[in-house]
Amino acid sequence: MLIYLPIAEVSLNLFVLLALGLGVGFLSGLFGVGGGFLMTPILMFMGVPPAVAVSTQINQIVASSMSGAIAHFRRRSLDIKMGLILIAGGAVGSVAGVQIFALLQATGQIDLVIALCYVGFLGVIGSLMLYESIGAIVRRSRNTAPRRPARRKRTVIDALPFKTRFAVSGLYMSVIPPLALGFLVGVMAALMGVGGGFIAVPAMIYLLRMPTNVVIGTSLFQILFVTALTTVLHAAQNQTVDIVLAAILIVGGVVGAQIGARYVAKVRAE
Amino acid sequence: MTARLCLIAMLAAGLAGAGAPARAQAETPAPEPQIAAALTEDVVEIRSNFAGAEMVLYGAAVGLTEGDDIAVVIRGPVRDLRVMRRQRVLGVWVNADPVVFEEVAGYYAVASTRPRAEFATFSALRRNRIGMEHVRLSAPESERIETRFGVAGVVVSDIGAAIVDYRAALVRNKARDALYVEAPGGVEILEAGLFRARVVLPPATPTGVYDADVYLFRDGLPIAVRRTSLEVVKGGTERAIYDLAHERPVAYGLLSVLFAVFAGWLAAFVMRRT
Repeated sequence: MLIYLPIAEVSLNLFVLLALGLGVGFLSGLFGVGGGFLMTPILMFMGVPPAVAVSTQINQIVASSMSGAIAHFRRRSLDIKMGLILIAGGAVGSVAGVQIFALLQATGQIDLVIALCYVGFLGVIGSLMLYESIGAIVRRSRNTAPRRPARRKRTVIDALPFKTRFAVSGLYMSVIPPLALGFLVGVMAALMGVGGGFIAVPAMIYLLRMPTNVVIGTSLFQILFVTALTTVLHAAQNQTVDIVLAAILIVGGVVGAQIGARYVAKVRAE
Repeated sequence: MTARLCLIAMLAAGLAGAGAPARAQAETPAPEPQIAAALTEDVVEIRSNFAGAEMVLYGAAVGLTEGDDIAVVIRGPVRDLRVMRRQRVLGVWVNADPVVFEEVAGYYAVASTRPRAEFATFSALRRNRIGMEHVRLSAPESERIETRFGVAGVVVSDIGAAIVDYRAALVRNKARDALYVEAPGGVEILEAGLFRARVVLPPATPTGVYDADVYLFRDGLPIAVRRTSLEVVKGGTERAIYDLAHERPVAYGLLSVLFAVFAGWLAAFVMRRT
């Protein structure tokens, strides 16, 4: 059954869109990722204009991060102070990203930049994951625990000014790295239609050295606010948010995420 | 003087008589060719279940004789279009050589009784923009007026011969979404000058005013033309959503976010219950 999307100005099959939301929602429930980096390119392949795909997908992430963030809020497994600093950086990044987006759209290079961003980011993340997995396999075969440095080295991050205490994370560090990380994720949200969890989560663990148990919650908390802001900015500046498409993806996505979250209990970690 | 005036008046009366539809005698001169045409629908509403539309353009050609042909051209709302060429730069395909074509038809359908080349001259087709290879493409930004070989006011385009590639690319892209369609043989002549043609609007149909031109061709040239029009509008909810998004964009954005937040909250709520 075809459904006409008033902003995208194309007719797409309703059931295909619901199944897509369900499938990507399932994966995001399973792996704890937002799924934006899967959904946005698929929407473009289906004929949704890139600008509409990006800003509509961002709207969908608001819903998925909301349901995730609530769960973490209840368990208190998030660092609100860190989250607020990330949001501050993210807000600036989002505003900048939406401006860059409008500029690229005017010069006709938006499709190219979006495609290159995807190739670049997914290529880097994929290679890092491959490296990590091979390391894990090698360790398992040798039956040794991963080596840990005896004492962590001082890095550039420790030398930065404006230090503050993050009680929940048990950190005393400069606000500049989280602001910069927030900014990067905000730009990515506006340009690529992704929540940015796949960049923010590893960065929080390895660069900011936050405890793993608060990382996911903090990331979701930040994503919720940054994507909400990005949605409003895209709607206001580019009029590219398709509420009908977003609603279909949200319905499929939240149901899929629940199924994924249940399935998670049955599969082995790592 | 009076006699001559009288004669002119009689001639005028005779001409007017020839244009009238009722003529039984064989000796009267062939009637002035005329076309009447209409569409089965003149407003198409796009609603949520819009999957394209189909209608019939029908009409009558007065004075249609053996060997005459009919061509129907439907042109959709015009929009400026940027066409670029993919070019390899440092191993990556980038969009280069942008050309802005002004007022390109968003929809273009042409149907005729026979393949066009069999009944119409190239110049007649070009002049009336009938056929894919004659789709109007104008790029004023790339044009300038020069004096060439002593002739003043020659319009020279920077695109040059590449215009053929740009046109082919544009037509190919539009044809992929069934926005540009050709149907040689799509016009059916029934009897006594009655004809009909099927008009198919694809799901990607742009909104706006469409012009349907019907041409009657004889000896390679159009001898009669008739224009009728059609409007494609967004209907009901789709229109309301579109208008809201463009007239109150901030409110629309907030509404989208509120809906998403509510849906996410509902999902978390339901999950905790079960």
